[in-house]
Amino acid sequence: MGRDGTYQGSRRQLLRAVSAGGAAGLVGLAGCVGDPEEATNGDEEFDTIELAVLEPYTGPFSDLGEERTQGTELAIEQINDSDEFEFEIEYDTYDTQSDPEDALSEAREAVQSQGAQFLTGCISSDVALSMNDFALDNEVLYTPGAADVAITGERCNEYVFRFETSTAQIAEAMAQWTYEEQGDQIFYHLADYAYGESVMNEFEARMEDLSDDYERIGETRAEFGATDFEAYITQIESAADEADAVVIGSTGGDLVAFLSQAADRGLIDEIPIVTTTASFTPIRAGAGDAATGVFSGVRYYPELETGDNQEFVEAYEAEYDELPDNFSRVGYDSIRMMARGIQEAGSNNPSEVADVLGGLEQETIFGPNEFRECDGQAVNPVWMGELTEGDDLPEVEILTELDGEGAIPACEDTGCDR
Amino acid sequence: MLGTIFQQLLDGITVGIVYVLLAAGLSVIFGVMNVINFAHGELAVLGAYFAVAITIQTGIGGNAFVVALVIAPLLVGVLGVALERYTVQPLYGRNPLYHILLTFGLVLVINDLIYLVWGTGSFRLPRPGVLTGTVGAFGFGVSAYNLFMIVSGGLMALAVWALLEYTRYGLIIRAGSQDRQMVRNLGIEIDRYYSLVFGVGAGLAAFAGIILAGNQQAHPDLGMSIIIPAFVIVVLGGLGSFKGAVVGGLLVGILQESILRPWVPWLEGMVIFVLMIGILLIRPHGLFGTEHAEEGGTERLLAGRTGSLLERETRFKLGLVMIGVLALVPIVAGLLGNLFWVTFGSRVLIWALFALSLDFVMGYTGLVSLGHALFLGLGAYAVVLGLIHVTSSVFVALALAIALSAAIAWIVGFLSIRVAGVYFAMITLAFAELYYNLLYRLEITGGSEGLGLLGQDYYYGLAGIGASLDDIAFFVGPVVLTGHSLFYYVVLGALVASYFVTRRMLQSPFGSVLKSIRENEERATFLGYRTVVYKRRAFVVSGAFAGLAGGLFALNNAFVSPSAAEWLKSGEVIVMVILGGMGTLYGPIIGAGAFFGLEQLLTHYTGRWRLVLGTIFVLFVIFLPRGLVSVPTLLAPYLPGGPGPTSATEQLPEDSSTEGGD
Repeated sequence: MGRDGTYQGSRRQLLRAVSAGGAAGLVGLAGCVGDPEEATNGDEEFDTIELAVLEPYTGPFSDLGEERTQGTELAIEQINDSDEFEFEIEYDTYDTQSDPEDALSEAREAVQSQGAQFLTGCISSDVALSMNDFALDNEVLYTPGAADVAITGERCNEYVFRFETSTAQIAEAMAQWTYEEQGDQIFYHLADYAYGESVMNEFEARMEDLSDDYERIGETRAEFGATDFEAYITQIESAADEADAVVIGSTGGDLVAFLSQAADRGLIDEIPIVTTTASFTPIRAGAGDAATGVFSGVRYYPELETGDNQEFVEAYEAEYDELPDNFSRVGYDSIRMMARGIQEAGSNNPSEVADVLGGLEQETIFGPNEFRECDGQAVNPVWMGELTEGDDLPEVEILTELDGEGAIPACEDTGCDR
Repeated sequence: MLGTIFQQLLDGITVGIVYVLLAAGLSVIFGVMNVINFAHGELAVLGAYFAVAITIQTGIGGNAFVVALVIAPLLVGVLGVALERYTVQPLYGRNPLYHILLTFGLVLVINDLIYLVWGTGSFRLPRPGVLTGTVGAFGFGVSAYNLFMIVSGGLMALAVWALLEYTRYGLIIRAGSQDRQMVRNLGIEIDRYYSLVFGVGAGLAAFAGIILAGNQQAHPDLGMSIIIPAFVIVVLGGLGSFKGAVVGGLLVGILQESILRPWVPWLEGMVIFVLMIGILLIRPHGLFGTEHAEEGGTERLLAGRTGSLLERETRFKLGLVMIGVLALVPIVAGLLGNLFWVTFGSRVLIWALFALSLDFVMGYTGLVSLGHALFLGLGAYAVVLGLIHVTSSVFVALALAIALSAAIAWIVGFLSIRVAGVYFAMITLAFAELYYNLLYRLEITGGSEGLGLLGQDYYYGLAGIGASLDDIAFFVGPVVLTGHSLFYYVVLGALVASYFVTRRMLQSPFGSVLKSIRENEERATFLGYRTVVYKRRAFVVSGAFAGLAGGLFALNNAFVSPSAAEWLKSGEVIVMVILGGMGTLYGPIIGAGAFFGLEQLLTHYTGRWRLVLGTIFVLFVIFLPRGLVSVPTLLAPYLPGGPGPTSATEQLPEDSSTEGGD
């Protein structure tokens, strides 16, 4: 579905390359006499902006990449049809696979060959982090799709704006609920990479604030991309008497495989399973019945009545014949918020857009929202939910809500200096 | 406590039994026909996807699981027979290393076919109700499906054992895996059994894939994650031994699930490869393997150059023209205002250097390293860590990378070169995997997030004199060369320099000995050369240049992550060397260009470009093993004015004895 853009894109690219080759050469000519530092990407008069959609269309996150692209394409379509914006978005899709080297190579092609000034995408945290650096280095604006805290934390920069809810925000809701409903003796099972690690760190920091008696009963770490979890499940089972809950720091195929094997072993009867992402549609679809009874942090659910969410859901259903989920809404509003920034700046120069986008209050599917000026993170609300039996897939039943201000860490705690 | 230990043991056996089925086929195939089948994991996954088609896509669901368990392995078995007939068979009589290359190409093809047919998502295999949930056993609650895996897998292994032990077919296969020639001498056409063995092996793998997918899920990358453990087991148990596969499979399963993960999780991934290296060093034929003369070992690898079409001087001029053209790339790209060709060019040239380094050891001494990404990764991390902690001079950091890679290459070479052929390939693979796992564990390497160079101040120069590439600019007519364009020249300079250094080395007496080793190691030994020492030196040189490539690789990305050392990178660089033609120094450079050019061309039309690449690669291995550089010679007789077919063959002996590679 999402790949259609590529094929149309390549034909368009070809035409553009032929016609624009001469013009670009002239720009090069004009720029050469001055300082090499001088930025030549961006001008006052513009009708189009070039967007690069960089997603993992192959590898473990490919489902999520496809889903996010659908949201992105819907937003582009609406913006291009709307009178509110004085420009059109042209875009191409690029396959980042799940390797930072491939992602960087694609990003370079997008920026240097196709002249993209705006980047969006990347689900995997390590790929998104490498893209963070790339955005700063090339002075292009980037809206990532990964939840790792460092993206708008220690490794933030002024070109990165994230509408995806960060692990810090989701951990706030999860920790409060877990402490109140389950207890403070926690076992962790992590996928051994950036994301898994940050789940434990964030959850633990909040638990320590909430309870003096908090204890980490134990932890198991599986290699990222692991498919066999038997030994870890045995360890969790043997700690089930002591621990009040097991917190799972993994997502994608890792989480599906874990939940499937945990269900075969009856783990859920022994200890509550608290996850960060089991509410995602692909995970519920992948794990099926095995996800029933599992608790999950919720970053988004389509029934939400805030902002213009219902219009989004309607348009999305009309276009793709399915309900939107977390990644499609991230793609959707990342583009809309970015486009309003461009409109506000009245420029397609990423540096000028970045200047106005931070702190720019705007209407989103979550109601009034903004990318904070201090770290570029959107102030999203978060929920805690339980997966219950449904018709095709398990359904998400919302248990508690935490508003945006309550969930986001204070500016001075983010470690972001931009 | 007792319950936990019992459960841990059960986990080990559950996983182990799958390994047994995978390794058994792999091992027997090697024993009988000397084929290392890299595509074995993909065949297993294909089995799982056939089961997906039978259960989910027909809409029958869990009740069809048992049907799928019978039909899917049969289908994959038939496919295995076809693969043997049409791709493996043309290669018998060649060095067994060509089978590694061929089956690596098949991995790319089958994997992309799975993506094409079933998409990128994963499937959970539906199972009949009896096989879900837990059952009571010995007073413990045990997963019903895990019990089913152990029982059905065990029965299957038993059936194969009985087949090998009590039937005439089994007798011939066992005899064949001990001494093929003897079986032939007895008047039995062992070759006819090859297809059968390959088919049964593939079917076994498919069976393992299905029961595994029932427990986990069917997803396209499953094959990649099971093939490496399967290799470890085959090596541990002994290549060619069924008993070894059974013992090795259970051993690794129990070691991994019952001992390492619960008790010393940080050692997982390392212990197994250390064990593999240890076994290869102490007992290369494994725990139960029989030591038989490796008859394939004497067959030569096919070097790229079979005769030169052009005069030496013309070739030299042609080379200079090529360098000139490459040097113009940034200027032309600058004129067109499209910097992409510069960064793309840098990437190609870095890989060309990496391929050149591999060829120095593979094409000239016949040692096929399956773990060359080790040196790429070493160089990459050395440069990044060097720039962060030690120096701000890029040249010093690159020197560090070269020195470190050379030192590690000496150690790896010291340990590995005593074994030859397939065993050498396996031991280098183990070293690379060991390093790859280490990168995730160490604090200093930044784990899976890797390390970025952004915000680090570094300059190109020495002792404080020099500049960052972004701060200097050269004005060539209307074009400004700065940043990436200058880096391109750094890479091009490194490649050209490496080319001339290696070329000079090969023209020296040292190079002559290397070539004599490639042609006939025994004779070189008879002449009094200590071939092991020469091979080790070649390996160190190769490691040093690979380290340089790795350093440039990290500088180009301004970033490094463990994926720099993954085994796929080792495979890809071999693909480049073969595409171009090994045993010539320019062949790998052409190969790298062809590889990325193809990727660049194909990704515009399809995301599944590896399918096309894999197919081309397989065709190359079968029909054009000497690579692209041999094309002109092959075409020569048909070109007007070119030398006739006779003159091309006449040049052969002279060529291999007098000239250095260039």
